Amino acid sequence: MPSATNQDLIDQWKNEPAPLLPLLHAFHNRDGYLSDDALRAVADGLKTPLADLYGTVTFYHHFSRTPGGLEAPRVCTGNICCMRGGNEILETLKAQGQAATEMPCSGRCDAPIPVLTGHTTLSGETAADLKPTPSPLPVPNPGDIEECLFSNIRKDGNNTLAGYQANGGFSALASVLKDDPTAITDTISASKLAGRGGAGFPTGLKWKAVADCDRHPKSIVCNADEGEPGCFKDRALMDYDPFALIEGMIIAAFATGAPRGFIYLRYEYPETNALLEKCLAEAREAGLLGNNILDSGFEFQLYVRRGAGAYICGEEGSLLNSLEGKHPFPRNKPPFPVTHGFEDKPTAVNNVETLCAVPHIVNKGAEWYQSLGLGDHVGTKLISLSGDILRPGNYEVPFGLPLKTLLYHWAGGPKDGRTIQAVTMAGLSGGFLGHQILEDLTLDDPCIKSHGSFLGAGGIMVFDDTRDMVKAAHDAMAFFAHESCGKCFPCRIGTQRLTERLNGDASELSLADWTNEVNDIGEAMKATSACGLGMAAPFVTESLLKYFPEQVAQATS
Amino acid sequence: MINDPNSVIAAQLSITIDGQQTSFTEGETIYQVSKRLEKNIPTLCYDDRLDAFGGCRLCVVEVEGIRNPVASCTTQANDGMVVKTAPPHIEKMRKTLLEMVASENRQIDVDPLRGLASQELSTLVNKYGARSGRFAGRKSGTTNLQDLNPFILRDYEQCISCYRCVRVCAEQEGDYAITVANRGFETQITAEFGNDLRDSDCTFCGQCVQTCPTGALADKKAIRHEELPEKIKKTRTVCPYCAVGCSIDLMTKGDKIVGAQPAMDGPANKGALCIKGQFTYDFIQHEDRLKKPLMKQPDGSFKEVEWNEALTAAARGFADARAKYGRHSIFGIASGRAPHEAAYTMQKFIRASFGTHHIDNCSRA
Ligand SMILES: Cc1cc2nc3c(=O)[nH]c(=O)nc-3n(C[C@H](O)[C@H](O)[C@H](O)COP(=O)(O)O)c2cc1C
Ligand code: SF4
Ligand code: SF4
Ligand code: SF4
Ligand code: FES
Ligand code: FES
Repeated sequence: MPSATNQDLIDQWKNEPAPLLPLLHAFHNRDGYLSDDALRAVADGLKTPLADLYGTVTFYHHFSRTPGGLEAPRVCTGNICCMRGGNEILETLKAQGQAATEMPCSGRCDAPIPVLTGHTTLSGETAADLKPTPSPLPVPNPGDIEECLFSNIRKDGNNTLAGYQANGGFSALASVLKDDPTAITDTISASKLAGRGGAGFPTGLKWKAVADCDRHPKSIVCNADEGEPGCFKDRALMDYDPFALIEGMIIAAFATGAPRGFIYLRYEYPETNALLEKCLAEAREAGLLGNNILDSGFEFQLYVRRGAGAYICGEEGSLLNSLEGKHPFPRNKPPFPVTHGFEDKPTAVNNVETLCAVPHIVNKGAEWYQSLGLGDHVGTKLISLSGDILRPGNYEVPFGLPLKTLLYHWAGGPKDGRTIQAVTMAGLSGGFLGHQILEDLTLDDPCIKSHGSFLGAGGIMVFDDTRDMVKAAHDAMAFFAHESCGKCFPCRIGTQRLTERLNGDASELSLADWTNEVNDIGEAMKATSACGLGMAAPFVTESLLKYFPEQVAQATS
Repeated sequence: MINDPNSVIAAQLSITIDGQQTSFTEGETIYQVSKRLEKNIPTLCYDDRLDAFGGCRLCVVEVEGIRNPVASCTTQANDGMVVKTAPPHIEKMRKTLLEMVASENRQIDVDPLRGLASQELSTLVNKYGARSGRFAGRKSGTTNLQDLNPFILRDYEQCISCYRCVRVCAEQEGDYAITVANRGFETQITAEFGNDLRDSDCTFCGQCVQTCPTGALADKKAIRHEELPEKIKKTRTVCPYCAVGCSIDLMTKGDKIVGAQPAMDGPANKGALCIKGQFTYDFIQHEDRLKKPLMKQPDGSFKEVEWNEALTAAARGFADARAKYGRHSIFGIASGRAPHEAAYTMQKFIRASFGTHHIDNCSRA
């Protein structure tokens, strides 16, 4: 088959919504990298300045500018993979003459080390046993507590339209379309569902703000960027319950009056990308998406847009800039996306997990959802558990569950003869919690915030007593430095300086000077950074100093 | 934006800044209102001609009821807001931020000939006592030495990634010649594919040079005169090149013209210049400049003569040509550098003295 010409690709995409990323991917896929000529053609085709486009392309980790780059192996050297041989795989592949490079956590911390080549995720303990591997399913319900999000996920065929419908799928949509849009928003508000992407903003309130805004067309954007290290729960939902996400998005669209929606998916999930494209095609075919959904007269068009490797594109302003083809710096707020989002129009940006909960809540009611939490807590949360633990994986926990129950009863505890030294919260963004306080910790924000951290998107990494916590902190900070967008001074310089202070480069500093510098940088970052990345990164050093001062003293002397 | 005290709306909106209550117009930022009150909020990424960016974070202020400080340049004033522009904990963080920025550059002090805003960083570093040498570590930015263009020095080792250059090029010039490549500590100002400026869409207007707060971008022609001992004197004048009439400040050291800078308050240009006004002032003192008329001799060589002689010869030449070939054999082209009055006189001269409509001007814009 003759490959498509530049003009074919441009004609295919230039009149589509949010065309830049898919057009760049089309060239990247055709040529195996983005050549100068490709960038010239794209700039010309989309009438965008070439220098601007060049800057934007170089922002993304996974757009390759060298021939063969698309297929070259990218080995995860994230915190968890570092502890289990990621660097060794990288070195072995390089020694074999492959153009292997590193990538940050690619959301497979519950499986052997992932290596991305082209559109395939290989995985293995060593370079020798790398092979294409489907993403792991959540383990069978470990707690015998009623689940919401995972209630159907382990059933065979649930990720096909027929299978999803057999499990009751799209019944929520059918009932919603007969109802008044404000009633749906009221139900979601009453359920007290809050954002599961990290910030915890009440979902009903967000939808109401979009619905109340009289500027059109509105959009629903699903944040499927899942870039936080140690977070891989959205991956499980999309791989094994993709139609729940689609149904949740259609309901959100109906509630807010949005005729278009996007799923912004991280680059590192190529198999998920293919699956979602297939599911969307099936849903369109079945009249579940399009001009006249289930003959109700309601119109909603849904598109997948693939990112290109940038953690910051999970931050909603940056995500929207990326979708629009702009340089993906975060936006200044206010205004917020609910009034000025995609193409400056009202937009609800919601996390995958948030949206997937919606059909369940519509089906079973707000009270039912509330009752899933323990004690005064409301609802459930997916936790991605990884690291030094016998059964890493995704768990659906009721809010308020003791951490001990999750770690020891559900996930089997640390490996034989080991004890748990620390866990992270919110992937890496919540920093560490030391063994000193884990005994009484419950998984809910009031408790975790009282320890100066937060649950965020629900990634928990476990470090046992063999681990060097300064090294763990270094790897965490190196991630933030790698992903800092460079917009604001405190984060651009601060993440770099903190990384240097954790890798021994600043060892001529006395412990007192070291601590002062680290604290002053952290204070300025937390208070003045322009977005959550820079505000959260100092939790790493702060918690390191709080729980492991003796390890710091040793490392800096 | 200027506050109109007679406006009803303006009278209704009020904000308290450092204990001082004042009215403001909807849409004004905290920074703009504070500036009117002559508050000295430090900034590095701000240029009032550009959209506020929110990068340097030096302008953060405390707003009552909001936990974290807010960037005053990007945050609009709200009715009833109570703001403190310089409480001690914010001043401390400003110092930290300046120490951090200072730590990424090799050089804080640069010659003022580099550019109009080039002293902003060193001024703030001095004001906040931020030469502590704390936060030492890797430096950022790579100076581009291979770009041999005659106008703009691209000394990115002194760059602090405020992106004023990129933004002025896009927002003011509409040229989009330069961009931010990479991210985080690796960000680098560059043209596409790392090209030299002359292979890019750059028009060498010098706007990026003049907005750069560190002198990372510098006027290559001006800095040739760094070593001259005299102090820089600035004289407000008008660019002689075209009828737009951009205001410039001509910089001299002693008798020597050493550079030109755009006047931010120039009524015609508001801080903008083109390549000519910005970089081509040196014809004034150029050794090849003609100061007296030259008259062509029968052997083809030129001889210096007095004005009277030259004008007489020219008049004779015109009269002969008209007599021999007719009045339409003469065509006048006025210089684009001529102001209105001179252009008018020129067409009057061609029409009245030669009797032809063959008159035009070289400016076709
Ligand atoms: C640095 C940074 C990264 C983020 N990454 C993600 C992400 O990968 N996925 C996500 O859903 N939200 C992410 N967020 C949060 C989003 O900005 C936003 O709050 C969220 O998508 C809103 O959806 P929700 O209300 O359903 O949680 C991130 C925020 C920051 C500051
Ligand atoms: S905090 Fe970091 S990631 Fe966020 S805007 Fe600033 S530099 Fe970019
Ligand atoms: S000189 Fe003018 S056109 Fe050239 S890069 Fe600077 S601002 Fe842009
Ligand atoms: S070159 Fe100057 S204006 Fe441009 S980003 Fe660097 S410091 Fe700012
Ligand atoms: S997959 Fe490697 S650290 Fe998460
Ligand atoms: S002036 Fe406000 S952030 Fe730089």
